[in-house]
Amino acid sequence: MTADLSRAALETGDVLVVERLGGGLLELVARLPHLAATAMPGTFAQLRCGEGTTPLLRRPFSVAWTQDDICGFVFEAVGAGTRLLSELQPGDRLDTLGPLGHGFSVVDAGPVVCVSGGLGCAPFPLLINELRRRGVEDILVLNGARTATRLYPAERFARPAVSVVAEATDDGTRGHHGRVTDLLGQALASRPAALYACGPNPMLGAVMRTLLESGADLPPTLEASLEAPMGCGFGTCLGCALPVRAEDGSGAWKLCCTDGPVMPMRDVDWEGLSALPGADVA
Amino acid sequence: MTEDGFTRVDLGRGLTLPNPVGLASGTAGYGFELDQLIDINRLGALYTKGTTVRARDGNPPPRVAETGGGMLNSIGLQNPGVDAVAAGYAPRWRGWAIPIIVNVAGGSVDDYVHCAGVLEPVAEVAGIELNISCPNIAQGLDFGRDPVAAGRLVAAVRRVTERCVIVKLSPNVTDIAAVARAVEDAGADAVSAVNTYIGRKIHRASGRSVLPLGTGGLSGPAIQPLALAAVAAVCDAVHIPVIGVGGIVDAASARDFLIVGASAVQVGTATFVNPETALQVLDGLRG
Repeated sequence: MTADLSRAALETGDVLVVERLGGGLLELVARLPHLAATAMPGTFAQLRCGEGTTPLLRRPFSVAWTQDDICGFVFEAVGAGTRLLSELQPGDRLDTLGPLGHGFSVVDAGPVVCVSGGLGCAPFPLLINELRRRGVEDILVLNGARTATRLYPAERFARPAVSVVAEATDDGTRGHHGRVTDLLGQALASRPAALYACGPNPMLGAVMRTLLESGADLPPTLEASLEAPMGCGFGTCLGCALPVRAEDGSGAWKLCCTDGPVMPMRDVDWEGLSALPGADVA
Repeated sequence: MTEDGFTRVDLGRGLTLPNPVGLASGTAGYGFELDQLIDINRLGALYTKGTTVRARDGNPPPRVAETGGGMLNSIGLQNPGVDAVAAGYAPRWRGWAIPIIVNVAGGSVDDYVHCAGVLEPVAEVAGIELNISCPNIAQGLDFGRDPVAAGRLVAAVRRVTERCVIVKLSPNVTDIAAVARAVEDAGADAVSAVNTYIGRKIHRASGRSVLPLGTGGLSGPAIQPLALAAVAAVCDAVHIPVIGVGGIVDAASARDFLIVGASAVQVGTATFVNPETALQVLDGLRG
């Protein structure tokens, strides 16, 4: 099936600010009227990193939030591409292609649980904003990171902040000392209508494992935003394959960029995904 | 000359491209995504994803890895199979102005002959590009490296199709001109050069190859001078039209191929970065 790219467009806009949030987290804000008007929760944009041919490929980023005609992106300077983005100054031009991808199925009634690991915070402000627009107020965010400074600030998950944010850090510097998945048991007690997760693929696998081991009924809407090394972002290069479970039980691939990045967690082959080598950051 | 000032490109056997700028196989799918992003019908040709007898799931991920000025891919010819292309995709091309050239790949002469036979009655298919140069599947390169085998393959396909047959050459050979001459002698109407260069990238934290099969195909601006040398050698060796491809990012890098004797060009990896690249190349060549 061909992806619906009818909203996707090239758009170049002014950078307003690259804000340092601490712990290496960065928030890039740019004036991008088309993207701001068309991005749905969980969709992403392909950002050009510099004007040269190295790095060559765009980098995919969730649209973290929109406000009027501006968009925010959350990232970390880990490779050549993101380093160039981190050096952008107000007034510099940002070359984007988006919105792309299949986003979250936004429910109309809660409770809702959002599970974020590290940079997995990125799609949630836009999602929570849309949930609240639909009248869903019972939203619990479970936010985990390696250490306190790397936690996306709780007040940024929703503006104005009304959602409840429970935090976990691997080193215990803030919130629960341990993994974000440790907080899932309590969250499931509310029998959520939807659980949305985003973070590194191993963390998402751990979320699914924890849900299955809890014995509780799985939330009717259970979705994760996944990641994969990506070439084009719009379904032509076929580079971003992710393992899924075909209906007949055989293995198959789906494209992170157009079938995802948000996929039903029931459909993902978590064992296959965990067997893949770690990301090669360039 | 066409209305917009371009010389048409006669590739032979009734296939005349409205202009010299096409979308390279493997970087444009079957056109349905790019059709939503750009005015695809302004372009000279769409060379489809490599298509095989049966559907292929493709290689395990990771399938792409970025390198200096380029990228490696190991997609493994993921495609729905030639029957699905003929029955399901071709009707969707009806009414498109852009000539559709189906890239065909296989592991045996019979595979290519079968695909060409299935596509022969499909009116929407303007031509066939024989992919004898895929580095990412077993046997993918067998025909591309051996002039005798390449010639035999082309002759066999020639017997079952009246369509224009273009042969996409591999640069991963000692003497690309010899393969070009062999396919010309066997009845190819045109050649396209080059497919990707075999490359490898090491994941430095682990010391392992990034791509699961070890190697992949290198594309992007890094290969443009290499491709240019290969295309120049092919142009010197054959009398049939040559389509230049490899690392084109703008009109200037495309014009290089026309200068060394190519009749047309294909834009590949640059489309991933900017879907409008081929149109910009077209406008730039005209200007």
